[in-house]
Amino acid sequence: MNNRLKVLRAERDWSQADLAHALGVSRQTVNALETGRYDPSLPLAFKIARVFGQPIEAIFTED
Amino acid sequence: MNASLDAPRPTFLRKAGMVVLLAGLGGAFGYGAATLTDGSLASWEDELAVVMAAAMIGVGLITAFIVARRPADIPRGCGILQVVVMLLAAAMFLLPVFGPALASPDVVFGAVLLLVAVQSAANLMLWRTADEMLRRVMLETSALAFWALQLGLFIYAAAERLGLVGTVTAWGLMGILMGVYFIASAIAAARRGLH
Repeated sequence: MNNRLKVLRAERDWSQADLAHALGVSRQTVNALETGRYDPSLPLAFKIARVFGQPIEAIFTED
Repeated sequence: MNASLDAPRPTFLRKAGMVVLLAGLGGAFGYGAATLTDGSLASWEDELAVVMAAAMIGVGLITAFIVARRPADIPRGCGILQVVVMLLAAAMFLLPVFGPALASPDVVFGAVLLLVAVQSAANLMLWRTADEMLRRVMLETSALAFWALQLGLFIYAAAERLGLVGTVTAWGLMGILMGVYFIASAIAAARRGLH
């Protein structure tokens, strides 16, 4: 699964630690999400969508 | 908020430095364990237990170093719990080897049971504290280790039943289990980019 996390984060000038704090996960988890090493659970995906104010499908796309 | 606060991508030199550092630590722990136990250990099972304990102490100290350098408030206390779990596990492996020189076997066994209870509680707290990716890594480690160990145990058990190999003690099997678990843990962590 692909995602636009890094782009969305950069647009807001957030660090990985900032996003991790907003999501309640570790910075390593944010890094793994951005590099495609980890696909989030549905609850975390909804949380990411809420943090960025966008629908899930605007952030995550199929390969 | 500033995107420049991202963790720097590890360069080749950084990775090579880490390999040298880990190799040095491994060598130092190996030398220390060999010096401390020079000829005093009764069996390869005890030697393996000491090596596993040394490895756990090493990983625990490295984790403590990382936690001290880059403290993170999320997940809260997770790093410290990882250190505690690792060091308690090391003590659990060392106590049956060195404990009998200090106290009677039943006292040592009581201490081992106490350590098991405390370490299990710390492990449970770690699970509850961890975020979803760390939990996934723990689950994948368990699955990978179980798959490898049940396969290896079946092959060994069949060979032993047929009289092709000698018997290994439960203590020896425990050391082997921990070694396999370590390797499984490293693979599961590396797949998620955790180093």
